[in-house]
Amino acid sequence: MDKSNNHPDDELLAAYSAGSLPLSQALCISAHLEHCQSCGQKLQQLNHVGSELMQQLKPSKVSDELKNKLLGMLDSLPQDIAQEQPREIDSRVPRCLHQFIDKSYDDLDWKRVSADIHSAELCRDSNGARVELLKIKPGGSATTHTHMGDEYTVILEGSFSDESGLYGQGDFLVRDENDQHTPVATQDRECICLAVTEGPIQFTGFLHRLLNPFIRRGYA
Amino acid sequence: MALMANTTAKSDKLAHLSACIGRVAEKRDKSAFAELFDHYTPLIRAYSLAREPGADLVADDLVQEVMTRVWLKAAKYNARLANLNTWIFTLARNCRIDYLRRNSRYATEIDPTDIFNEIEDEGPGPFQMVQQSRVQQSIRAGLEQLPKEQSEILTKVYLEGKSHQQTSDELKLPLGTVKSRVRLALKKLEVLVTR
Repeated sequence: MDKSNNHPDDELLAAYSAGSLPLSQALCISAHLEHCQSCGQKLQQLNHVGSELMQQLKPSKVSDELKNKLLGMLDSLPQDIAQEQPREIDSRVPRCLHQFIDKSYDDLDWKRVSADIHSAELCRDSNGARVELLKIKPGGSATTHTHMGDEYTVILEGSFSDESGLYGQGDFLVRDENDQHTPVATQDRECICLAVTEGPIQFTGFLHRLLNPFIRRGYA
Repeated sequence: MALMANTTAKSDKLAHLSACIGRVAEKRDKSAFAELFDHYTPLIRAYSLAREPGADLVADDLVQEVMTRVWLKAAKYNARLANLNTWIFTLARNCRIDYLRRNSRYATEIDPTDIFNEIEDEGPGPFQMVQQSRVQQSIRAGLEQLPKEQSEILTKVYLEGKSHQQTSDELKLPLGTVKSRVRLALKKLEVLVTR
């Protein structure tokens, strides 16, 4: 179960546990957690930290009115609110992405970015970060690129390598604007990643420099 | 001795509250629910006020939302996965995130429901059980001994719900210092098990 070698930093995991992380980043952590038992264990302990801090708060009195109101409501609460309808969805899709995907990755509106890459935008976060899936064909290259802001990546399927190493399913990576890298998918299969970018990607390859104005428009 | 007596009292209280959640789950026992209400809602209210001081209506909304979930989800609570305090903390955290999303000036389409799995039987996998109460006790003891500069940051992040960047702005500290203080604090609390 513990397949990944690259994990979110402890302070990032703590911010996730605290609920103070932008939701787009929380999405990446959640996708990673589905593949990573050790981060799951850490998270349990981090939740204990939150729990203990909460116990130390100075209690704030709750009115009897509110108590009586709620006790009076209990019998009329819809009992099925906690029941979830089971859905037929490709088991490869992490639970946190079910909200964007009907049945499988194939349903998404994949757009061609280059000969090797397709992308499907899932949504934007309130901080403007772009949340998308990237699909790199077997052996395909994502060309050299840098970013204006941080980029969070979780590998959902397949694997890729770049200047710093080889990454597989569940791996969680953060690249900042100073990192210049060229991810290349392994030959055996296509690679699907969840990617959250806080600013526009700058493609720095020769041809892509010409394309940049067009690509940037997507992030406006 | 006083500290030990205090610790014993706390775990007795927690055992009693855990029995209450069991009665709510199995018998739909309203008096047990009222006991849970009396114990937890002043803390839930304080948790909401920590983020938005003075916002009493928001705090009451959070109390109502969390306790509604406690009533509806009591049967899903599993003491082997988390003690009751921690379960309530995660419910309160999730309700607060949801509230903020729905009332934010900047809309996002991201629904937090499936991101923050509540600690339930059908949660994200059978994580190997850690020795719950021992861990919790060492975290509690550790928190009391943290240097103020570290506990202050944990309070900002966990209770006030501040991002690292916001914490850095408010305390006028470099972002890297905020992150390293979080890391140091977690190390002291022995939260960071070696991989």
